[in-house]
Amino acid sequence: MTSLVSARNVSKSFGNFLAVDDVSFEIEKGRIMGLIGPNGAGKTTLLKAVLGLTDCQGSLSVLGLDPFRQRKELMQNICFIADVAVLPRWIRVSQLLDFLQSVHPKFSRARAEELLQKTDINAKSKVRELSKGMVTQLHLSIITAIDAKLLVLDEPTIGLDIIFRKEFYGNLLNDYFDEERTIIITTHQVEEIENLLTDVMFINHGKVVLDSQMDDIPEKYVELLASTDNAAKAQTFNPIYEKDVFGKKVLTFEGIDRDQLAGLGELRTPDIADLFVAKVKGEAA
Amino acid sequence: MIQSQLALLRREIWEHRAIFVVPVVVAIVMALTSLTGQVTINDIEHIDIAVVGATNMPESARAIALSGIMVGLSSPFVFAMWILTIFYTLDSLYAERKDRSILFWRSIPCTDFETVLSKLLTAVIVIPLVTFVIIMATHLLVLLNVSIWIDFRGGSAWHLIWAAVPFIDNWTATLVLLLALPLWLSPFIGWFLFVSAFSKRSPLLIAASPIVLLPLLEKILFGSVVVAETLFVRAVKMPLFAGLDNMDLLFQGEDHLETLANTELSLLGLMDLGGFLANPNLWLGLLVCGLFTAAAIYVRRYRDESL
Repeated sequence: MTSLVSARNVSKSFGNFLAVDDVSFEIEKGRIMGLIGPNGAGKTTLLKAVLGLTDCQGSLSVLGLDPFRQRKELMQNICFIADVAVLPRWIRVSQLLDFLQSVHPKFSRARAEELLQKTDINAKSKVRELSKGMVTQLHLSIITAIDAKLLVLDEPTIGLDIIFRKEFYGNLLNDYFDEERTIIITTHQVEEIENLLTDVMFINHGKVVLDSQMDDIPEKYVELLASTDNAAKAQTFNPIYEKDVFGKKVLTFEGIDRDQLAGLGELRTPDIADLFVAKVKGEAA
Repeated sequence: MIQSQLALLRREIWEHRAIFVVPVVVAIVMALTSLTGQVTINDIEHIDIAVVGATNMPESARAIALSGIMVGLSSPFVFAMWILTIFYTLDSLYAERKDRSILFWRSIPCTDFETVLSKLLTAVIVIPLVTFVIIMATHLLVLLNVSIWIDFRGGSAWHLIWAAVPFIDNWTATLVLLLALPLWLSPFIGWFLFVSAFSKRSPLLIAASPIVLLPLLEKILFGSVVVAETLFVRAVKMPLFAGLDNMDLLFQGEDHLETLANTELSLLGLMDLGGFLANPNLWLGLLVCGLFTAAAIYVRRYRDESL
């Protein structure tokens, strides 16, 4: 299968600061990729390169296009919601629909209106009159009504309450996603999207530190909850990270057969947040 | 491409409602002034004599007088239009960064070239056309108002006004002036767009600074006034009027005005559109405008807004 996004040795520096450092990855059609990283790790810079908003070194292809040089063609097939890509506050909902209908060949006004019917958003309202949650609903509705191949979400639910956040991801899966569409998403609230993802990529200091399908995580990674004595034995298997919890040790292993650790304590698959901490802190150690 | 451009132009009118509001406010002020003017002269005795006097004027003189009134009504609009253009262009690429909607606008399939072009076209075509339509409406409104007054005074409004007003000449000349002015002043428009694209704050201050400081610096450092003269000529001496420029019209001696009054007056006849379009300074100005606009497109495309 050809990749929707293909990055080979992509780098981007600002002066002496290397924001993205020789990154390579592929994203295939119909996947939901979570891009996870601490603040300043280079996530946003990488997304900007994918969206053609910034130039970069290396070879980057999105939908077979050079995103920076073929941005107009790209934008017909890509949508993005970023926390900072805010809708203009002066525009009326109806004007927004009129405008998109005129400029976006893949926008379906009927679909957008159908989605907006389910919300409390009034077509005559200006964006400035809507609550933050409603603005995000509006943004997701218009994006869902665009028949785009790739959706990029950069912290889409920041500042929203839990009900809106749950609803957002619910709508994303029910109304937007199908096997023809691909989503890249970054968020700090990893727990909330963990079950959505098909793929996950960790990025730290501009480098990819993990790139895996979610289904492969249980095979590759295991977490051992052990007493201090057993932990000492387990340390011979070179854990990538360890921490103390309530007088016990939690050790995270990469590429170790679970059978080898059997009998040393409780084994489980680390959740994404724990794995992230293990990979990022383990690297630093 | 054309459909997108029209949508982008419509978007500018939605966002910058001043494009309509400013000329409408001027129109309201002019209409009210004409109303209160009538109330005032109503108190003067023997005003009916003026109506009789007007009736006895030769038709050409009446046409000149009425055209003069219409030019008088149009002038504040032209002034307001230029102020509006300055504020519009300075805001056009600055507002989308200030309210952080730029990334939304860049997420739709329109190039930076198309977007910046729509702002330039709004300044040089949309604003003049909107102003023109409102000027015409104001002319009609004020003339209608005067007609009613004349009829009450026993004059014939049809004879005195509607048959005498050189509508086509006056309106065509007004439209030519409204469209020529932004072309002549286009280097400023281009500069304002560029400032709007790059300035982090107070675009008005940043745009005005070199216009004020460069002539001063030149005078202090070299004792010359080349920059000041260039700016002055550009600002007030539009070469649209045949053999004269707009400043000369004001400062010509009385003899000249008398010759004007004795001829069949035509505002269009006063203009030399061919000469204006053939003036190398016009094209030099458009080139400067083009360069600044290209710079504005470049800045919008390549500046790394922190996402």
